[in-house]
Amino acid sequence: MLLSVTDFIGRFHPVVVHLPIGILLLAALFQLLSRRFSTVAPAIPLTLLFGALGAVLSCITGYMLSLSGDYDTILAGRHQWLGIATAVLAFVFYGIVRYKATIPKLADSMALASIGLITLTGHLGGSLTHGEDYLTVSLSSENTKAGLPPIPNIQEAVLYTDVVQPILKNRCYSCHGPSKQKGKLRLDEHQYILTGGEDGSAIKAGAADESELIKRLLLPLTNDEHMPPKEKPQLTENEVAVLKWWVDTGAEVSKKVKDLKQTESIKPVLAALESGESKETPKISDIPEAEVAPADENAIQAIRKAGIIVLPVSQDKAYLSASFVTAGAGADTLIKLLEPIRKQLIWLRLDDAKISDKTLGLVAGFPNLTRLYLTNTAISDAGLAQLSPLKQLQVLNLVNTKVTEQGLLALKGLQSLRSIYLFQTAVDKSKWASLQTAFPKTVLDSGGYQVPTFETDTVEVKLQ
Amino acid sequence: MTRQELHAQRLLKEAEDRVLFNQTRRHFLKESAMGLGALAFGSLFGCKTEKTKQLSAAIDPANPLLPKSPPFPGKAKSVIFLHMAGAPSQFETFDFKPELSKLDGQDCPPSFLEGKQFAFITGVPKMLGPQAKFAQYGQSGAWVSESLPHLSTVVDEISFLKAVTTDQFNHAPAQLLLHTGSARLGRPSIGSWATYGLGTENQNLPGFVVLTSGGSFPDAGKSVWGSGFLPSVYQGVQCRSEGDPVLFINDPEGMSRDLRKASIDAINDANRQEYETYRDPEILSRISQYEMAYRMQITAPEVMNINDEPQYIHDMYGTKPGKESFANNVLLARKLVEKGVRFVQLFDWGWDAHGNAASNALNVGMLNKYRSVDKPVTALLLDLKQRGLLDETLVVWAGEFGRTPMMENRNGVQNPYKGRDHHTEAFTIWMAGGGIKRGVTYGETDEIGYTAVSGKVDAFDIQATILNQLGFNHEEFTFPFQGRPFRLTDVAGKVIHDIIA
Repeated sequence: MLLSVTDFIGRFHPVVVHLPIGILLLAALFQLLSRRFSTVAPAIPLTLLFGALGAVLSCITGYMLSLSGDYDTILAGRHQWLGIATAVLAFVFYGIVRYKATIPKLADSMALASIGLITLTGHLGGSLTHGEDYLTVSLSSENTKAGLPPIPNIQEAVLYTDVVQPILKNRCYSCHGPSKQKGKLRLDEHQYILTGGEDGSAIKAGAADESELIKRLLLPLTNDEHMPPKEKPQLTENEVAVLKWWVDTGAEVSKKVKDLKQTESIKPVLAALESGESKETPKISDIPEAEVAPADENAIQAIRKAGIIVLPVSQDKAYLSASFVTAGAGADTLIKLLEPIRKQLIWLRLDDAKISDKTLGLVAGFPNLTRLYLTNTAISDAGLAQLSPLKQLQVLNLVNTKVTEQGLLALKGLQSLRSIYLFQTAVDKSKWASLQTAFPKTVLDSGGYQVPTFETDTVEVKLQ
Repeated sequence: MTRQELHAQRLLKEAEDRVLFNQTRRHFLKESAMGLGALAFGSLFGCKTEKTKQLSAAIDPANPLLPKSPPFPGKAKSVIFLHMAGAPSQFETFDFKPELSKLDGQDCPPSFLEGKQFAFITGVPKMLGPQAKFAQYGQSGAWVSESLPHLSTVVDEISFLKAVTTDQFNHAPAQLLLHTGSARLGRPSIGSWATYGLGTENQNLPGFVVLTSGGSFPDAGKSVWGSGFLPSVYQGVQCRSEGDPVLFINDPEGMSRDLRKASIDAINDANRQEYETYRDPEILSRISQYEMAYRMQITAPEVMNINDEPQYIHDMYGTKPGKESFANNVLLARKLVEKGVRFVQLFDWGWDAHGNAASNALNVGMLNKYRSVDKPVTALLLDLKQRGLLDETLVVWAGEFGRTPMMENRNGVQNPYKGRDHHTEAFTIWMAGGGIKRGVTYGETDEIGYTAVSGKVDAFDIQATILNQLGFNHEEFTFPFQGRPFRLTDVAGKVIHDIIA
């Protein structure tokens, strides 16, 4: 939709209004100081004239902006009349200074009056743009930007008033509330939500996928139609999920959470809202959160020349992965090349490489390793014991090696270990249970899975 | 010459002059000032999303298959896509619809037929109840039919998508849509996109390998693994599971390895000169293909050989070396992924359960099809798991569409065997490994499985999800072609976050 000309000019109001504010304040200041510093006195009339003209311009652009109808009429009305009053006062002030300079007391009180009017008008204008509680919100105790406070006993809560409304209040009211209705949309009352805005109803009860409100929330951030606008605080995934669920369950006003049909996907969301976690349980990542300095490019080139594949784990990370899949023989000496990238290296694939227990002594010097693949190598318990400094290690693949439960126990202190793959190792099957108690938080995969052969697997079905 | 004729002549000349006048350069510049200005304005200010990353710049023309990092850390390093070409029936595999059996043999209500298109059904077909018994398995309680007794033991590794839809009801376009994002020819397949974006870890093997079984190619032919407008080096390399994996991979008698090397070098030198003259990147593709073929001569026969696999592996997969079979291909897929191949695409032909012949009847031929995939696919998941590869290998099992809850009546006459027609409105696929949630069922169909009611996804969503697991935002992963950036998912696709761990 093309903006109309008045709309376009109106949008300059927030810029233009700062001219009279600044100029008139300056004029008032000059007036109040003029008895002490007489040199500024001659500048007062001209400054006032400019300020007054600026005020008129602001009034005109402001009126045009108000025609868009995005703003609360009462608040905008007050702002408008105060603005006009400011402009009129500025002209009267100018007249007094220009033609009745003999009455300094009167001019001084005009100066004070204009400061007061400008402050008041400006405050109302600010309330229109940023919401009425913009100034006071940082004073109030609850930090509304961070998300909702926990909702105790969420099953007993009324979905609309206790969950949905606080979310909307937090994220939407400042533009779609009592003081401002962007796109003619208000979200602060149930009937307003149903009435909707310029584009029709905001929600279709029972069909979140067809509801404009939900659609806008789900659009990618880069989309112009996405709400809230990308520079504003965004809803969390859980908040979006619960709004979606509210619409899907019929956008009820008074039903309690426990009375509504709860899908599998909404249950964890409700639980998270109850415990006050704005996000789901943190995902375990095999990439350290702390940033690392990029590795030396020359060192990386040297490693690549030797046939080792070294790559950042992703384009936006400096952490590296290395693979010896095409390195050929001599891996146990080539591994020394990795020394310059020891801090960045987090994933190391040595499967099928010709390495020995000695090599693992060098591997232990890569402190940030989270994944280590030693599949099909000649390593044994002696080598494994050297890996105990790898505190960050999460995944250890030992498939088809000679390691036993003894060697593994040396790694007992590695708290981050999530999985150890032990298929085709020399681990004693009878020690399995004790091994699992030694690694309570680790999945130990013994492998050796079998798929039995049923009679039906080999018989061909023929027509009877 | 009459005055009229003179007049006509003058008009003609004027018209000719006008044409000439329109064609001067000065005129062009004068008249198109606005247009050129708009073009300049557009390139200065518009036509760019917030962060347009030109991935195309990342291709090294001399070595297009060099491994590359994904834009964000992907959970999956490789993909094994098991395509059941012909489209298996969801009613006899995963989508349990007891209500449908109550309607068995009744006339199909007109509401299911009005305005609908079917490949073969005409007139009023009869409803057809599920032709298999179902039970719930695993901790997730997933429904699986008795036809898949092995797979039912590993459902807790799998995410089922039960409400997949498509808009193509014929095999070839539906297969193209699933693999290339367009029902028409000419787009790159998802494996090509993956190798274009990530290269391949093992330079001695192709990055994208295709294996077929079932005695026939998929209906869409080789286009389903074609590279479309991407450089042809990214197309799928079809390997054979019987005989030489690649035809003529062994040097002929009398050709030594050195001589082979010398001849390839000579060919490549000639090609390089050609490239200097014409700068056609396809020539570079050609050079790197020669080089890869030379390296593959050593690696491929070794990786593609399942004879040396231990007996317990053969027992597990049900493989028989030396025979072309789906089981053999599945085992090969595991071996290839283990060696760093990025994308392995399996096509198994023969799932088109119409019921117009015993071989494609639900209660005859299809039972054999289930048996041919049940054990190997189960073995694949377990074998990947015990090797620590399932975490980083995404396994996808899919057909190109679903089957109707009605029995097929070809040309209005009931088919001789139990069978179902092509159906676009609901079918089941599944994914496992590669950062996909374990033991999840997402999406629902209505009581008789005719149409998807919740958790609806389509081919684009599946593609977006696969790319996401590999570390790509499908909306930003593009290739410039014909003056605009193209992407696999075109203008659609949403990552299915509900099945991502």
